[in-house]
Amino acid sequence: MNDQLRAISELDRVIHEPGRLMIFVLLGAVKECDFLYLLHETEMNKGNLSSHLSRLEEAGYVEIEKTYRGKVPQTILRLTRAGRGAFDRYLKGLKAAF
Amino acid sequence: MKNEIQTLLGRPRRYNNIDGSCDMMFGVMVLGYTLLGYLEAVLPENSVWRRGFGGMLLFLAVLVPMFGLMYWIPKVIKKRVTWPRTGYVVLHTDGAFPSGPARKSLWAIMGVTAVIAAGLAVLVGLDRGHDWISLMWMGNVVVFVAGYGYWTWFLERGRLWRWVVLLLMVLGVLAIGLISPGNFVGMRWVMLLFVGLAWLGSGVASLCLYIRHNHLPAPEAE
Repeated sequence: MNDQLRAISELDRVIHEPGRLMIFVLLGAVKECDFLYLLHETEMNKGNLSSHLSRLEEAGYVEIEKTYRGKVPQTILRLTRAGRGAFDRYLKGLKAAF
Repeated sequence: MKNEIQTLLGRPRRYNNIDGSCDMMFGVMVLGYTLLGYLEAVLPENSVWRRGFGGMLLFLAVLVPMFGLMYWIPKVIKKRVTWPRTGYVVLHTDGAFPSGPARKSLWAIMGVTAVIAAGLAVLVGLDRGHDWISLMWMGNVVVFVAGYGYWTWFLERGRLWRWVVLLLMVLGVLAIGLISPGNFVGMRWVMLLFVGLAWLGSGVASLCLYIRHNHLPAPEAE
């Protein structure tokens, strides 16, 4: 297998899914944000976004914190250190592949 | 691919001014400096407000409310209007003020102003016969209009109405300067007032458009 094909095969599949990649890019550009922001920016439905976030949380890439803004529940999201590292590796892998 | 990712990465940056709060902040800054410069220019040479403790009091009486408004306007708008509608975001420059693109623009404006001020300081040293201070304030008019242009290009280049505001700003400044022929520099305070109000108005327009297009979501949003 040549290097380019190997780089493609080694891409992190958790990140590579388009919906999750969009979440990663948005979270990568901020320190933290809430669920509503991602819902607004990605234009996904709530169920879809929730399931992607659960998958990313399971992988240890995203930290999810349930809190309140006044009396309104708020879900704060941020990339973990592992998530940022994985995203950097993913982008390097993508560059190597193409 | 790279461009698409970069576009996405730039979204939070643009989100910072989605409600016009950064524009309002800059508008207040221009109006504050204009008021300070105007007061210093119209006060008599021997006024107590131009020297020592009085001068410092005048300085603080203008700058403290100005920085207060620059701090509170974006904070209140974000908390009461933006975050409940389209979500809460903290950029990486958390804790610093101003943050994100506002900081870059502010540094750019301050940098150009510093260069103009340094140049004028040299000119004042070389030739005391000219009214270089008035020219410096004229330089500020240029810097602030250029600052609005830079800000529009940097963040909001897709919004046609902002380019129209920029054009109106330039034409307005020229028109004000031509009201009294031969006294272009003498109209500097009116020009600065116009630029500050236009910048502030641009922020208010952004806020109105934002509220119009983004309604409060249902309580069970999450």
